[in-house]
Parts: sequence; C-alpha cells; structure tokens
Amino acid sequence: MRAVPRAPRIEGRGLLTLLLIGAVGLSALSVPWGGDLVHPGGGSAVGSIVKALARVELSPEFLRITAYAAWTTLRFAVAGVTLALAIGLPLGVVASGVLTRSGGRKTASIVVARFVLALLRSIHELVWAWLFVVAIGLSPMAVILALALPYAGILGRVFADALIDVPEEPLRALRSAGASEIKLLVYGRLTIALPDMLGYGFYRFECAIRSAAIFSFVGVQGLGYQIQLSLDDLLWNEVWTLLIALAALVLLVDAWSSQVRRRLVS
Amino acid sequence: MTHLADTPIIRVENAAKAYSGRLAIAPLSFTVAEGEKVAVLGPSGSGKTTLLHLTAGIIHPDSGTVELGGHATSELGAGGESASLVGAIHQQYDLVGHLSVVHNVLAGRLGRWGLLRSLWSLLSPQDLGLAEDALERVGLLERLYERTSRLSGGEQQRVAIARLLVQDPRVIVADEPVASLDPARARDLLILLSSVASDAGKTLVASLHSTELATEFFDRAIGLRDGLVVFDLPVMELDRGILDDLYHLEVAG
Amino acid sequence: MIAIRERRPATRPGLVRVSAIGFGLLAVLAWGQVLAGGDSGAGDLFRGDTWTRAGEFAGELLGLGAEGESAFVDGALWQNAIGLSVETLAMSVLAAGIAGAAALVSFLPAARNVAYGELGGSRRAVGVPGYMVLRLLFAFTRGVPELVWALIIVFVFSPGVLAGALALAVHNYGILGKLAAEVVENMDTRPARALRGAGANNFQMVLYGVLPQALPHLLTYLLYRWEVIIRTTVVVGFVAAGGLGREFRLQMSYLHYDEVALLLICYLALVIGVDLVSAGLRRLAR
Repeated sequence: MRAVPRAPRIEGRGLLTLLLIGAVGLSALSVPWGGDLVHPGGGSAVGSIVKALARVELSPEFLRITAYAAWTTLRFAVAGVTLALAIGLPLGVVASGVLTRSGGRKTASIVVARFVLALLRSIHELVWAWLFVVAIGLSPMAVILALALPYAGILGRVFADALIDVPEEPLRALRSAGASEIKLLVYGRLTIALPDMLGYGFYRFECAIRSAAIFSFVGVQGLGYQIQLSLDDLLWNEVWTLLIALAALVLLVDAWSSQVRRRLVS
Repeated sequence: MTHLADTPIIRVENAAKAYSGRLAIAPLSFTVAEGEKVAVLGPSGSGKTTLLHLTAGIIHPDSGTVELGGHATSELGAGGESASLVGAIHQQYDLVGHLSVVHNVLAGRLGRWGLLRSLWSLLSPQDLGLAEDALERVGLLERLYERTSRLSGGEQQRVAIARLLVQDPRVIVADEPVASLDPARARDLLILLSSVASDAGKTLVASLHSTELATEFFDRAIGLRDGLVVFDLPVMELDRGILDDLYHLEVAG
Repeated sequence: MIAIRERRPATRPGLVRVSAIGFGLLAVLAWGQVLAGGDSGAGDLFRGDTWTRAGEFAGELLGLGAEGESAFVDGALWQNAIGLSVETLAMSVLAAGIAGAAALVSFLPAARNVAYGELGGSRRAVGVPGYMVLRLLFAFTRGVPELVWALIIVFVFSPGVLAGALALAVHNYGILGKLAAEVVENMDTRPARALRGAGANNFQMVLYGVLPQALPHLLTYLLYRWEVIIRTTVVVGFVAAGGLGREFRLQMSYLHYDEVALLLICYLALVIGVDLVSAGLRRLAR
C-alpha cells in the first residue's frame, strides 16, 4: 500500500477569502435596504447625468474657467507637496536613524520622530483643514498646511523606510573609504533610494492634486469650488467638463511620473 | 496507400523559420519514427529551440510543413487533440509556482476537461489517481500537496515529467531539459525521461548540450548548426571528428 | 541566435533634469502667488492673537471651559460614538468589498498582455478596444476623488451607509483595477504559455497560469486600500451622511468641540485598529 499524503484542510488563504466575503456580507447588513434607498428623483437624476455626458460643456468661456481652476488646484498641490517635503524629509532622516550613532539618544530621536510622523499622518487632511480653519480662519495657508502636514507624515515615513532599506554592500565601500555618516547619506543612501523615493513622491503629488481639488470645495478657488457651483445649479454638462479636467490633470502627472521613473531606472 | 505503421510520427518537410529577417531554421527535412529517441545537438544559437518548438507545434513554419501523426501542426488547434499528440518540457518555468504540485500535474488533463471541471478541480482535485500514479512513477508522491515553488529545480523537472505522464502524449519534445541541473541530477532525469518514453512507446525528441548524455540515452542524433542539419546519424556512429565540426568556433581572420 | 540587449541611449537625456527644473519652477510660481497675495494667511501664522485663538480652540477640544459637563465623561455620548464607529467600519468593509469584486471581474481584460493575445491565445476582436475602455474607466474613476463621487451619488441614493460605500468603491475600483492589471502585465507568462502545450484553452490558461499568481497580489492591495478607505470613510460620511462623518458635521455645526474631540478619538482608534487587522490579514495571505 503506497503512502499517499493526506489532503490539507482549507489552507490559510482559502480561509482568509471566506472570512473576507463573510465580513463584506455582514457589513451589507448595516445598510437599511428598502424602498427609500434610492432618492425619489434618483432614477431621473441618473438619466440626466448620463445624458449630459453627450453634451459636455465646451464653450471657450467655460473652458477658460476650467483651465484657471485647474491651474489653481495645481498650484495648491505643488505648494502643499513642497512644504510637505520640507517638513517630512528632515523628519524622515531623523526617524531612519541613519545619521546618529547608536545609543540612547539615537533611540529617543527615532521614537520621537516616528511618533510625530505617525501623528501627522493619522489625521485625515480634511480633519486638519477643519482644525486650521477654525483656529486661524479660512485662507490659502490654512489649506496648504492642511495638505502639507499629513503628507509630511506619509512622505517622512516612506523616506525613512527607503533610507533604511538600502543594502549594506555599496555603503560599506564608501565607509571604508572614510566617508562620514553625512556623506554616506548623501552619496550612498540617497542615490540608491532615489528612484523609489521619487516614484512615491510623484504618487503623492498625484494625490495632492485630488486633495487640493477637494479643499477648494470649501471656498478656496479651484476645481472643487467650480464643481460645487455647477452641482448647485444641476448643470451636469459642466460637471462632466470639470471632472474630465480633474481626471486629465491626475493622468498627466501619472504619465509624467512613469516617464521620469523609467529614465531613472534605465 | 501507406500502412499506418510506415507513417513516421513526425515529418518535417522543407520547414523554414525566420525571425526579424534572419533565418533561424533554413529549409530542412527529416522524419522520426514512432518510438524513436532523437537527440538534437548543436552550439548555442544554432536553432535547436526553434526546431523543437516547430516539432511541438508551439510555433509554425514560415514555409514547408511540420506534420505530427499525419496532421500538419498549423491545422492542429491548441487543445485536447494537439495535447494528446505532443507534449513539451523546457529547461525551467513550465510549472506554475504558486500552485501545489497536484494541480500542476493534473494540468496535463486540461485538454480533456471542460471549464467547470478545471475550476472545480482547483478546490477538489479531479482524477486524483492519475496524479498519484504519475508522481509515484517519478518518485515524488509525498510532495503531492506542497507548493511547487518550494521544490528544487530537479524535483520540479520531475513534476513536469509527471504532468507529461498525465497528459500522455505520443511525442515528448524536451528543450534543454537538463541544462539547469548538475551532472548527477541531469543523468537521473534523463534516466527517468528515457524510461518513461520507452515504457509507453513514446517518441522522444530532446536538445542537449552534452554528447555523453546523448550517446547514453538516445538512439539517433541530429546535429544542427546555423539552422542547417550537419548530420543525422545513429548515436553509435558519432565520433570526435564529427562533433568537432559541429561545435568548432569560427575564428575570425 | 543569441539576442543581445543593446543599451539604447536615452532619446531625451535631460528629461529628469528638465522635470526637476520644471517642478522647481512650478513650486516658485505656486509659492509666489500664495505669498504675494495679501490675504494668504501666511502672515496670520505669526500673529500673536492667532496663537491665542488656537490655544483657546485646543482648550475647547479638550472640553475645558465649556458650559456644563465635559463630553468625555458622558457615557451616552461614548456609546453613540461607538455605534457610529461600527457603522463607519461597516461602510469601509462594504466599500472595499464592492471595489474588490468589481476589480476582480475586470482586471484581466485590462492587462495588456492578455488583451493583445501575447499569452499565445488569438488576439480576440473584443480584446484591444476592451482594454482601452477599461483603462480609461480606471483612470477616470480614480482621478475623481471619493468626496466628489459622494456629492454626485447623493443625487441618486439617499444619504447613508450605502451612498458613502458606493462613493468610496467607485474611486478605489479604479485604483485596484489598475494595480491588478499591472500585476498581470509584469508577470512571468512562461508557465501560462506552457499550459497551452498541455492542451489548455484560453480560460484554463488564465485559471491555472495567471490567477494563482495575480489573486494574492490583488488581495494584498485590497487590504492596503482598506487602510486608506477607513481614513476617508469619515470624510465621505460627512457628505453622504453616514457613520462618524455625519456626527462630525452635526457636532461641528453646534460648535461642540469637545464632542468633536471625542469623535476624533474614536476615529483614531478605528484607523489604528484597521491598520493592525490589515497587517495581520496580509501576513495570513502570504
């Protein structure tokens, strides 16, 4: 009689899938299924939304408004990301611990930096926005800060991990040539980690554009503000134009990002 | 009216194949009788892989014909008909690493299974007995439910042979099956492959780097160089001179 | 025939440099316009009374100086908040489920190698246009932020958990679809093509050769996205009136800042909890 191994019970991954499907089913229970799930006017709303796609607003005047709004959104995104880099990069370097020598002070600085980064990024940008607006009033800086702080937290953490993950061998060569830790950082770690960091930075830039668009809903000029205006008047054809502009802006940055990353890798 | 027994299982007639304007296989012809074991020898770049892929019906010739069991490969659709005629094994990457061994082996039945059965088998392996028999033959029965990527290179090649056993084609085409293995395991694998073929009267066509292995396990050797057949001899008649001619490096000037 | 990979000289060697300069220019323009405009608020940051106002606000968040009892000791409020947190959690799970399911059924034809028949199958007539349509769909749905989707969806669906979940699902569908398609595109297709030699048709080839590798990745991406979704659920609930988000809006309009702080704590707890669960589940999936 040959020894045939016994078939395994449902393995880890199968169990996981079942668990997840169950979780989704459970959460569907919290939806008040029933008649008034859809608006009374919901069906016709869908109709007008879809029909408006065929008559997307393309008048030169509106296109100019759209372009200016897109430019405003882009500006806010850039300002936010640059500030986020200014805050996040130094924090990330400290949090990675690559510049300090081991010891009590090193652990303390790492813990503090990581805690600050975690705090920054755990709070959603809109919550930050609300905090700033209530504290210092509605202004461009409030919005930029609300974008920059959580992004600094995210970027800082990713940068810290990227710096730590640099493999040892190339660094050893530099170290034996007598490079100080700072030089090691600049010439060694940064150059190696740069493609990944840049890739993630660009991705964050793409997200920043979306965030900036949302921020502009609250009154600061931009695509969000315009979408709000058109929505209030139920001008769906204008809404489509603005949505396409927003998606196009995001896509452009995405394409730019993949081009730059490809050049860096080759 | 030719007797079926006289019909060669593989017939290549003036088959040629070019890539990017460069001729990989010049028009060449040969036949293989059922049950023969043919080794294809030649230096790198001589077109061995192309020839084997043509023989297996994986690619089709630009001109001329390749016939398997009397059918032109260009007319054989992918699927059960072709799979029962010819099966292939490569140097590596035949198996799906993420699947367990049993599924990789049973993949040999895909040509005969419908879509629903293929899907259901992933949850509850169908025709399990076939897989067990095949794995026992190659000596890996205890690895039945392990994830394929955890097996060593030599073991994975044996699983690939098990898949071929389940698929049960009349012709086995092997493209450098032992190139990634150390000499001891290479020999073991060829012992297995050769006996698997002999047991069922299957035809075996394999490309090899090692002429020692060719002489030991095959009946016939075809030498290929720059897409042309340099020799087609019984393995006993190979000698130093012929092999040197095949492998010699062109020295410039 | 030995194929030698030639190192092609970059057609635009300066792209990286040009990009860097371009971005720097953008940054200068952006900040210039911010700081040049008189009401940028930059000056406000350094004014004395801004900081006192901020300090007062912080105090209000902590429930100091408020009339009556601080929200933190009110048991009923905590209970309400926890109930809403569960609702928010459900919204996030539902959203992830819908996005994941939708991405699951549409990521394969959106992979270039599948659509263009590079896996050895015939290039189906529906393959290439289907690929383009799907990629455009992914791009559009992910380009528009969840909040905007929520604003649109409440025109059709009554505000609530489903509206919020749908808004989140639409946006994340685009993200997951693109990621999953890219997994298939970057995959080693030799095992799949070898299956063809074993007699597999297109479906079987995908079932045995592509899915076993792609599905674990999709699952991992889904779990990562869940972490992002839970953070955004609160915000979407603001607009789509579900879960913690709805309560935020309410308490902010009443200026009950200490209750807002209570809700913020629940929010943070949810985020941390989901991060932990997601990490654990991801380890299970490996």
